[in-house]
Amino acid sequence: MALSAAKPVIRRHTEIGIFLIGAILIVIFASTSEGRWANLYNIGTIMQVTATLGLMSLGVAIVIGTGEIDISVGSTFGMGALAHLWLAVRVDPVFAALAAIVVGAAIGYVNGWLVTRTKTPSLIITLGTLMIFRGIAIALTDGFSFSIPYAARNGWTYFLLGGGDLLGFNTALFWLIAAFAVLIVVLKAMPFGNRLLAVGGSADSAHSRGVRVDRIKLSAFVICGTLAAFAGALEAGKLGFADGSMGRLMELQAIASCVLGGCLLAGGRISLIGALMGAFVLSSIQSYLVVTGVQPQWFILILGLIVVGAAYGDKSLRNWAIRK
Amino acid sequence: MTQQPLIQVKNLDLYFGAFHALKNVSVDFNAGELIGLVGDNGAGKTTLIRVLCGIHPPTKGEVFFDGKKVEKFHPKLAIDQGIETIQQSVGLCDNLSIARNFYLGREPVKRILGIPFLDFAKMREKSSRVIRQFGLRENVSADDEVERLSGGERQSVKIGRAVEFKNRVVIMDEPTNHLSVREREHVNELAVQLKEQGLLVIYITHDIFQVHKLADRIVIMENGEKVADASTDSISAEALEDVIRQGGRLVEKQEAV
Repeated sequence: MALSAAKPVIRRHTEIGIFLIGAILIVIFASTSEGRWANLYNIGTIMQVTATLGLMSLGVAIVIGTGEIDISVGSTFGMGALAHLWLAVRVDPVFAALAAIVVGAAIGYVNGWLVTRTKTPSLIITLGTLMIFRGIAIALTDGFSFSIPYAARNGWTYFLLGGGDLLGFNTALFWLIAAFAVLIVVLKAMPFGNRLLAVGGSADSAHSRGVRVDRIKLSAFVICGTLAAFAGALEAGKLGFADGSMGRLMELQAIASCVLGGCLLAGGRISLIGALMGAFVLSSIQSYLVVTGVQPQWFILILGLIVVGAAYGDKSLRNWAIRK
Repeated sequence: MTQQPLIQVKNLDLYFGAFHALKNVSVDFNAGELIGLVGDNGAGKTTLIRVLCGIHPPTKGEVFFDGKKVEKFHPKLAIDQGIETIQQSVGLCDNLSIARNFYLGREPVKRILGIPFLDFAKMREKSSRVIRQFGLRENVSADDEVERLSGGERQSVKIGRAVEFKNRVVIMDEPTNHLSVREREHVNELAVQLKEQGLLVIYITHDIFQVHKLADRIVIMENGEKVADASTDSISAEALEDVIRQGGRLVEKQEAV
């Protein structure tokens, strides 16, 4: 049977599920929205949302690869956005983006340091830092938002950092592609990637082979924080505006992207392309609700239902593929 | 013996929380010696060698390697010193391929513009060639995940790896587990060969009769204590078995050298 021939492929590639879900949803969305969803402008919007959510998801996937989790990324995103916007006007967009990256790396370092030093579950540590950095973001902005004046929204640095479009897509998308390309090489073809997945597969075994488990985990958190804050910087660049609530609840979407994309929460098995596809699917759902006029307050509810449905579908597919 | 022991363990104590896993253990291990480390489950054999290979830092006591006191314990440091270990319950990551497990922590790289990329060709070729000597089937590829291997094949990966990277010390924790009779003999011959090449071989097993035939010296552990330490010339396997059975003691006086 042609179907059973697909079983080994499904077993080997955990991201197949999200691609199927994505394909099904694209057909449904395109056929039920009377052209409002499947048009170039809207796809461009979806790609812009995918770009920032995708950057965050890639980072989360790396941390999941070590068997840990980082749920503080929503706040890291917000801190990155604020750092970028605050400095982009005062100094220069490039310096601002670098500063946002440093802020993100620092938050990642704090997370990683706390997790490896205290040997406390990362779920709890990053739940704490999620609140801490959200609190800092709100306190710093004092409830106000700030923005880049229209007069300052020009120049190639502004353009490159989320402020402009290239070939019809927001420049953030190209940053996502670059980050993906680098990470996939690091993960698959470099010693660091081998050790990272080993730590997620069995930290004890990796340790016994001389792998510095804590350093690997710490690096993963730093990568994750960096990507989340950079995503925030790009989002701020795109909107030209930031406030203390930016990125709120985005951590849930990033984790959902990873899990739907075939990343095993227990660690050791992740799919970066799956995580990106997950981000694309979630962004598409969001966009579909907007263009079909569903009120945005329904988004989280519907998203949750689709996540549960998709997770169940993926598991059924997997069980089917495992059977002889 | 007049030569300086390669590894010297002095008054070692190790606690896991309140559990006293090793109690004032002192043993000398010499280069070119095959030592059988014997005892029942929970006797502390594995715990002792996990101190030697850097997994557990001791709570009290000292370890000397080549006459130098070991200050920091980490598997990386032990491996760098030339201690290769076939662990019993750890050592393989199920989610990684055979080749990736084989080289985990010491991956061969090709540098392009100074960036280290895994040397896949070497990893595949070398690992499958070495492991096949120890019972890996021909139809298993070095790219297959370890998860798919049988118990014996998993063991063959660990053994092959230790042989490939052997340097000064090879520690084997129940190395013949999951192996067929033929493979067992192969591993036992290997242990003797390594010793003859001048390495220190520490061979852990339940089976006193099996190891008595191979070893130069037998160390028996019980409840975290060393209860016997005797050369195989001086005492029979039967007598040693009685020591284990009766929970007795037979420790040759060993003054510090």
